[in-house]
Amino acid sequence: MATRSIEAQAVEALQGETAESVIADALSRFEADRIAISFSGAEDVVLIDIATKIRADVQVFSLDTGRLHPQTYRFIERVRDHYGIRIDLLSPDPDDVQDLVRRKGLFSFYRDGHQECCSIRKIKPLRRHLAGLDAWITGQRRDQSVTRVDVPTVQDDAAFSTVDHPVVKYNPLAGWTSADVWSYIRANDVPYNPLHDAGFMSIGCEPCTRAIGPHEHERNGRWWWEEAAGKECGLHGQNVRAVKIVG
Amino acid sequence: MADRKITFVKKILASGEPCGKCRDVEERLAAGGHWRAIDRVVVADERDPQSEGMRLAAELGVERAPFFIVETASKTVTYTVFLKFVKEVLEAATQTDDAQLLLAANPELDLL
Repeated sequence: MATRSIEAQAVEALQGETAESVIADALSRFEADRIAISFSGAEDVVLIDIATKIRADVQVFSLDTGRLHPQTYRFIERVRDHYGIRIDLLSPDPDDVQDLVRRKGLFSFYRDGHQECCSIRKIKPLRRHLAGLDAWITGQRRDQSVTRVDVPTVQDDAAFSTVDHPVVKYNPLAGWTSADVWSYIRANDVPYNPLHDAGFMSIGCEPCTRAIGPHEHERNGRWWWEEAAGKECGLHGQNVRAVKIVG
Repeated sequence: MADRKITFVKKILASGEPCGKCRDVEERLAAGGHWRAIDRVVVADERDPQSEGMRLAAELGVERAPFFIVETASKTVTYTVFLKFVKEVLEAATQTDDAQLLLAANPELDLL
């Protein structure tokens, strides 16, 4: 187990606090170069708006998977200019991407699920970056997905902590709803990704994101093919394994 | 990596004994938990030039044993230096596998 780097009382105290208070606590608790905001290029721009009002030189990073929408790349630039901040774009290891594409093509996620591609293009670069930070701030909300219903406001990040290097994760918007986010954006004239106006509630990589209807849950806009595919695959992976022997 | 095949070629000396270096590499594979990544073990028997390992060594121009053959759909690479093989093949794959396990255990991360 990693050593705790934030006291249990502090974790408890922050659970009911406002997003502004949580971000202020985070930015005061860690050195400027040891904490950063994770910005997806979507409505989590709210984090940047709040944080820059507290500290102008806040660190921000985005996972540049190489497959984002052109609108998202332009939006990231717009945010960079609007707030006058540096945004570190984290790229995947080119060898990993080349290997994946060589083995499985450019759209393997439609057939094999998104996890392998996400692991290479998101998780590994994120893990590499967090190795140099003590804390990070995300825009995760409980209402986004069934996978996020238990997201706390602040937590020791078991996923990326190691024995020698604990990492704290702040989720200041955990208790916000989508409506709360958009109320904030409108009330504070926050710039937002134009894809939202085209029906995209959740914005990720271009091949894995789609617009949804007005009454659909935002998770329906991501990896919509997987439930059906999962019913057919899974048992046959070993059958297609290459068995060619040189010589 | 499902579409990759790793062959471990070890040598049997003219005396009929396994070569010491091959034994050492086998022990290090076991100690590192890497055996499961090896798809096939082939013997290069000095007493039999037609043994599969000897033929593979000749075909691939390899002059040292043990060695590893890593085949993918697009290329075949041989490694005669164990540490290089571990670093470039086994550990690289392990990091990707670990990342997938991490994502599986923390599915909320995929929306980042």
